[in-house]
Amino acid sequence: MSESPSTAPPVDATDEPRPAKPSIARQLSARPQIVLIAVLVGLIVVTAIIEPNYLSLAGLRNSAFFAVPIGVLAAGQTILMLTGGIDLSIAMIATASAYVAANQSPNGAVIAIAVGLLVGLAAGTANGIGVGVLRVNPLIMTIAMSGILLGLFTGWATTIFAGSTRMHDFIITLGRGTFFDGNVPWSVVVWIGVSILVLLLLRRTGYGRNLYAVGDNAIAARLSGMRSWQVLVVAYGISGLLGAVAGLLMGGRIGAVDLQLAGFLLLPSVAAAVIGGTSIFGGVGTYTGTILGALILGVVQSMLTFLGAGQAVQQVLYGTIVVGLSWMYMRLAAAQ
Amino acid sequence: MTAVNTTVEAKSAPTRSWRRWAQRHGWTVGIWMLLVFLVVWYSTLIPRFGGFQFSTIINGGTAWIFLAAAQAVVVIAGGLDLGVGGLLVLTSATAAQFMDGQPLAVAVVMAVVILIGSAILNGIVGWVVAVSKVPDIVVTLGSLYIYQGLALMMLPKVGGGSSDGFRWLFTGSATGIGTNPWPAVVMITVPIAVAAWWMGRTPSGLSLYAVGSDETAAFLSGVNAVRTKIVSYAVAGAFVAIAGFSTLAIAGVGNATTEGGTLTLNSVAAVVLGGVVLTGGAGSLVAVVPAALILFFFNPILSALGVNPNQAQVIQGVLLVFVMAIAGLIELRRRRRS
Repeated sequence: MSESPSTAPPVDATDEPRPAKPSIARQLSARPQIVLIAVLVGLIVVTAIIEPNYLSLAGLRNSAFFAVPIGVLAAGQTILMLTGGIDLSIAMIATASAYVAANQSPNGAVIAIAVGLLVGLAAGTANGIGVGVLRVNPLIMTIAMSGILLGLFTGWATTIFAGSTRMHDFIITLGRGTFFDGNVPWSVVVWIGVSILVLLLLRRTGYGRNLYAVGDNAIAARLSGMRSWQVLVVAYGISGLLGAVAGLLMGGRIGAVDLQLAGFLLLPSVAAAVIGGTSIFGGVGTYTGTILGALILGVVQSMLTFLGAGQAVQQVLYGTIVVGLSWMYMRLAAAQ
Repeated sequence: MTAVNTTVEAKSAPTRSWRRWAQRHGWTVGIWMLLVFLVVWYSTLIPRFGGFQFSTIINGGTAWIFLAAAQAVVVIAGGLDLGVGGLLVLTSATAAQFMDGQPLAVAVVMAVVILIGSAILNGIVGWVVAVSKVPDIVVTLGSLYIYQGLALMMLPKVGGGSSDGFRWLFTGSATGIGTNPWPAVVMITVPIAVAAWWMGRTPSGLSLYAVGSDETAAFLSGVNAVRTKIVSYAVAGAFVAIAGFSTLAIAGVGNATTEGGTLTLNSVAAVVLGGVVLTGGAGSLVAVVPAALILFFFNPILSALGVNPNQAQVIQGVLLVFVMAIAGLIELRRRRRS
């Protein structure tokens, strides 16, 4: 399985033979990503109508700040959804990693980041062992992991981590710093780096093929000699690592950590992947779609902020919009 | 069926029927026995075990039981509702807003209205799940957000309250603390028994199992799958409302800032411990009730053992994974053998 990475190009909607005179609707449903881009542009226009100043680098930067952590977390969700799994602990992993990184910040940025990432990797790998080796349902495994981490860190927040909640300056720069006259956030650079790695992983490596294979048909994957459990352990480990990256960026953006740091990102992380066309049942999806999903959710967040509504109204609107967008995407996919 | 088969069956009937019975009800009996064991063990751990302790467990467990029952109904019908925790916060906040200081009759009318509203609201969620084909996890994560937002709009600050009579209904005393567990026992038993009868004995209830185990087959045999899904979410909404009333009755004030997500996780854990298969189509409320009580009961037991609540949460998570891994192993061995 692993020796044929680049011979088979990734199955793309555009490869399918199209009828001689395709209608516009059919053409659109064959290329859902064009629709996603259209939605993104449409949302940007609506936001610009609400707040004319939005159409500037500073305005778009605002959306980028929202989109980056969603995009990084959603990379983890995309990888797991390809295998037919999901990580409901990813937001808690992000928070935990940020906590540990803040605690280690006095020891320098390198140690803080390394230890933070290690926490994510460890928690993710534990998830992977639960799902891959012990065959616990991914929902249960990651829900339990979320509870375990919450319990541990609620206790530790007032004991061993008490008073050390400030992030290292370098991580803060990564989280909320900018360059080019303050127009491009560093976190976007981090996201682009993560995106390139994830895209290469999914499209150009044998392991990426394995992810699709496990999720598409686990029995066929096993019969062709694949060790699914190894694929799963690594996949959950990667997801935990990506959770840690997002946690560090979130912690850096806020500057300090608390237990509610990343919790609200759980729905967007799942939704970005689903809106981007990744099937929750495995085997189908691309990270390109997820990136578009994350950008859309980032713009939605900006729009809600500009509307000036209270937190409660924002929550209601956000939930409604996420479900609405997913619904729209499902209809397009069904039309195809 | 041929004659040969009948004789073979007749010969091994006693052992086979026993095995079938054990296979069907083994988990339920096991969970109830575990609960009894835990209660007995707990009574030896603490200096005094009387009406007060008993009613504390029953009262506190009421919300957990109804939340778990709500999740169970949805999961049996092949869905998953991550929004139940948010709906609990919403219903208890709404009740706190409108019931404060009202006489019992008014409070009961309010409760019925809120219960129906909750059922309709969650029924709409079920409709979206059934019609849109968006994965239930996504839709109900969305509804979790929406419910929490609505709850904050309903009750921006901690406040409101319950009516004295209503508190008695759920806690056996007007102050929320008492030694009389029986009102709570009745409040648990009656709705659960009605629902269990409905699910096990009526065509509309049984269609939940049909849709949960194979939606296409259910559709082909004439079950309206969309309606069944909507009904399952609506019944869950009604159960969650009862859980919300119980939460309010114990706390005495409404709090819309409670994290609904954590409550949802508890409900999923209880459903799994109660032997409901997450892929749908199997399970029973009769086993989910003790499972929810056991999960609630963990905290008092562990605190009696000198474990703090945070560590208790960790232990609970580890145990959950452990139980699931063992259950998976047993299932795997059984399948290998047959």
